[in-house]
Amino acid sequence: MMKKLLKLPLILLGIALGFFVVTFTVYFFNLDMKATALLAPLLEKWYDSREHDQYI
Amino acid sequence: MKTVEKIVNPVKRAGEQSPGKIYSDKLKVRARREWRGVKDTFYDYTRWLYLMSVLGRFIIVPRNVKGFFRYRWMMSYLFVPHGMDKFTIGLRDEALRIAHTSFNFVIADVTQAIANCFRGDRRVGNDKAYSDKCVITDENSMVTFMMGFDKEKVHTILREVPTMFASNIFHQFNVMHYLDVAQLNGIPGDVCPMPEAEAGISIDDDFCVLGCCAVQNNTTCDGSLMGNGIIAKRLERQYGIPTFQLATPLRHKEPDVLEYAADQIKQAIAFVEEHTGEHWDWDKYFAAAKRVNYATKCRIAQMEINSTPYPQFFGAAFSLYNDTNYMGNSGRDPNFVPIDRKLLELAEKGYKAKRMYAKEYRHRAIVWGVQPQYVIDMLYWMVQCWGVVPLTDMLSVINTDMIAEEDTPENREQAYRDMAMLNMEMIMRNHTHGGYKVLVDELWELCEKMNADIVMMWEHMSCKALTGMHGMFEDQARERGIHIMWVSHDLCDPRVFTRNAIRDQVSNYMRTVMREEPLDPSLEHIPDDEAY
Repeated sequence: MMKKLLKLPLILLGIALGFFVVTFTVYFFNLDMKATALLAPLLEKWYDSREHDQYI
Repeated sequence: MKTVEKIVNPVKRAGEQSPGKIYSDKLKVRARREWRGVKDTFYDYTRWLYLMSVLGRFIIVPRNVKGFFRYRWMMSYLFVPHGMDKFTIGLRDEALRIAHTSFNFVIADVTQAIANCFRGDRRVGNDKAYSDKCVITDENSMVTFMMGFDKEKVHTILREVPTMFASNIFHQFNVMHYLDVAQLNGIPGDVCPMPEAEAGISIDDDFCVLGCCAVQNNTTCDGSLMGNGIIAKRLERQYGIPTFQLATPLRHKEPDVLEYAADQIKQAIAFVEEHTGEHWDWDKYFAAAKRVNYATKCRIAQMEINSTPYPQFFGAAFSLYNDTNYMGNSGRDPNFVPIDRKLLELAEKGYKAKRMYAKEYRHRAIVWGVQPQYVIDMLYWMVQCWGVVPLTDMLSVINTDMIAEEDTPENREQAYRDMAMLNMEMIMRNHTHGGYKVLVDELWELCEKMNADIVMMWEHMSCKALTGMHGMFEDQARERGIHIMWVSHDLCDPRVFTRNAIRDQVSNYMRTVMREEPLDPSLEHIPDDEAY
């Protein structure tokens, strides 16, 4: 039990470190926006396909 | 010609020296984020995480997902982190913290505005009880007439802000579709693209539909009147939402218009009371008035710092934060107070430490006219690339008078005049309308006060309000020995002037007239014309 409790901070530290490495890589190399830029043309097609009740 | 003392930054910037390298002509976003040294990169990273959490909290709500796929303009909000990066080009230390503190707050505010729109929207959330307490207000209107309503009971919905105004900052092409819709339906192409896009959104049925009533304002130009007519027609005739026209005098410096303007405010309040069933509360009003005064005091203090050799809070973040605080908020939300305080503390700290945005300040500029949304990073670019410091922009030069904030019988009457004054002298209208003095004379007074040697004049080619004064600006600038640098654009249509076409006008002026070379050559030509 004590051994498990002693390991807990290490596990939490490992999770925090893993979170930092992954998110910092996404942040620094702008992977979030690069992925979004790939998605945008598909979304445009979706919006173009919608019917609109034009009224003036 | 007037000259100002050149100031060289004695401190070398942490991290990379040439932020122009992070742009790529193969991508529609930046190749990577800027390396600002360990401390500032880590700070920027934590703010990126915060923005991700704001967006994440928004999108986990099912009705917001539905709204995302319903409305084309929502695509812009995928690019919020990209938009935020436009505000931090080359920034370090306090300047970076000021940009994040102000604009992160604006982003959170706009996100909440979208969530509120979707909650009441007949096609998305359809929360009828909520919608019945919502008042749609005009984007270019000060919401002073809502200051005395309990914001928990009556909800102010500025639906044009997230739909058009803010979305164009994050995604430069997003408004083009609506401009095309408006023009295909017969609106001329030489109208200001802002009201034209808003008209296009209405014609295309892409506004959220909610609220028990709406208040429109004769905002700043003929284009706005045209757009409002189209929008009001659909609101009233198709959706049954009664719309009040708040007629605001344009010659706001004439004392005899004040009583009429105050009467209009009274009528707007009575209209809101009638349709929401809620009553005006003077305690709420005077509490909001105190916050308006605090925001004014903080803004005056920021402008005073900007008058010194070490300006701290300027650029698009300054302008958009003031927009949000004055027009969208008008003292109603107490959450702005700690942000105002924090921004002033950061600016004072930066001033004491003599922090500079760039390695050299060569010129001090007043930015006049209306900024284009799709090149929102222009003023940061100008200081980084050419060492021209934009001390303030026209939209941030607004009211400096304190309004009545104690609840007395006399002040209750004065309050209507105060609300009217704020509304008449709101952002945009206070200089583009009101006559020669506010548009031309006040510019030279500002140049004197802030020790500027350049006026960077945004020439919005579809804006008739400013075009008529072109010759006067030129003549008077020459008489005063002030450089005047005309920079044409088309507000939110990048097909007319691309980002590089806009920046090239500054670069050409700096090379040919000033005979100078860029501080940072990596920024002179940025391959971002096709970027979001």
